[in-house]
Amino acid sequence: MAAGARAVIEVRELRRAFGGVVALDGVSLKISEGERRAIIGPNGAGKTTLINILAGEIPPTAGVVRLAGQDITRLRSWQRARLGLAHVYQRTELFSPLSARENVALAVGARRGPYRVFRAPPRSEYAEADAMLERVGLAGREAVLVRALSHGERRQLELAVALAQRPRVLLLDEPTAGMSPVETARITELVAGLDRALTILIVEHDMDVVFRLADRVTVLHEGRVIADGTAAEVRGDVRVHDVYLGKAVTVA
Amino acid sequence: MRPLARWTLVALAAAALVTFPYWSAPWESTRFATTLLRDGLILAIFALSLDLLVGRAGMPSLGHAAFFGAGAYAAGIAGQRLGTDQLPVTLGAAALVAALLALVIGVLVVRSEGIFFLMLTLALAQIVFAIAFQWTAVTGGSNGLSGVGRPMLATLDLSSPDLMYVLVAIAFVLSAIVVWGLARSPYGRALVGVRENERRMRALGYDTARLRLSAFVLAGTIAGIAGALSAYSTRFVSAQDAGLGNSVRAFVTVLVGGAGTLAGPIAGSALVSLIERVVPSLLPVELRISEAILGLMFIAFVLFARQGMVGLGRSAWLRVRAR
Repeated sequence: MAAGARAVIEVRELRRAFGGVVALDGVSLKISEGERRAIIGPNGAGKTTLINILAGEIPPTAGVVRLAGQDITRLRSWQRARLGLAHVYQRTELFSPLSARENVALAVGARRGPYRVFRAPPRSEYAEADAMLERVGLAGREAVLVRALSHGERRQLELAVALAQRPRVLLLDEPTAGMSPVETARITELVAGLDRALTILIVEHDMDVVFRLADRVTVLHEGRVIADGTAAEVRGDVRVHDVYLGKAVTVA
Repeated sequence: MRPLARWTLVALAAAALVTFPYWSAPWESTRFATTLLRDGLILAIFALSLDLLVGRAGMPSLGHAAFFGAGAYAAGIAGQRLGTDQLPVTLGAAALVAALLALVIGVLVVRSEGIFFLMLTLALAQIVFAIAFQWTAVTGGSNGLSGVGRPMLATLDLSSPDLMYVLVAIAFVLSAIVVWGLARSPYGRALVGVRENERRMRALGYDTARLRLSAFVLAGTIAGIAGALSAYSTRFVSAQDAGLGNSVRAFVTVLVGGAGTLAGPIAGSALVSLIERVVPSLLPVELRISEAILGLMFIAFVLFARQGMVGLGRSAWLRVRAR
């Protein structure tokens, strides 16, 4: 982490147990403004649990979450969204009978709130939605219903919806899951090209994507941070190889 | 159609509807059609309000009659206790009482969904019904509340059947405009978002519990107004107005007509009114089973036409156009 840079996300001693299963066992991390941080680790390491706790989808059993210094541990997901947190889910979470444009417009309209009646939603909101769709590579698909979009297009739309919130922090939970190599490359370049002021936390299995995007990498294993450093440092870490990166090699 | 042409057409249709008793008089001497249309329009207001919940926000309430009944009792009781038939007073009392009741019940139910929401609204409405049925000193209990006054607007006496009809028709037109204005706005769009994916709406920054509560109170208030209009029309309030039967009737009306559309609850009200009032008169006495007919029709729509009459009409229209 750049010395003296302000922590936008700060997590301290986060624990989460599901019944007897401990998903997170005392995780602490700091992510500074504009940083791109990848969280990697084997299945069951607690990556999605961490993201869901950050987004306010599930409460932690213990520990503190801060956003730009403010304690948000007890805030609900909609309150966190208003403070600038956007979440792209691992499984697609969209409004399926609505068009791509309507999906993004719901995110754009969220900033002005829903208590506006009688007048149709302003055209500027739809124009902004269309611009966002173009940015993620969905130009020409604005009027298509979500259920008629391909899996890859839905992931692109997810990103457009999250970006339309104009977030300060973007939480990406496996944005390239289930995508073709071409689609993966497109999403990766898209995320790489986002405004550098945006802080991004990304959970990802594809190491090419991780090393292309991340400034720093945090490795989770059985609910604990076992390594934390620049991409190059983590690549060289022996323990990381043991639990994760080297696994494929060992098996092969 | 151009917007101006469309608006002219809608305005003409509304004017024709409101003035119905005057131009129908020559051929409608018994006033049967006027009464039928009046009661059908009251059901339409009630169904439009329920559709805000069922069709738009995805909140299947089986207790909506609680607010209809509350409005009916409030209008009747306020008129009798305050000794006035002034419309702003009695209708205002109806709207206020229904809104407060919807706020109380709403706080308890809006965090539950689907079948749990259905059962909770049903249970709480049954409590309201039980109170209405047993609090004889205030509501008249099982005898009902009789002698509800027909309203006055300043010095204008609305007690004639024709003017009573006009009042109902104007209220219907205004309700339809309100529901239309809500549905097309960012508010209506947000309700649809809550219906389709509440979790994602929260992640976008919408306080969905408050949104659902606002829709619940709004729908309850409009239902209360429908209840008051019913009390004025029949000059009587029955505990059954707040009962399960009336809730089911509105629910069937919405689903048969087509949930989530403006035309659906209106079309459903027309069909339900006809089945309740006209079909029995065409059948021999022993076959006057309009509730059974309504039930069978409801089953048929649920099995074969989930989108209701509006959906059937739409697909027929598309088929004609495709030729």
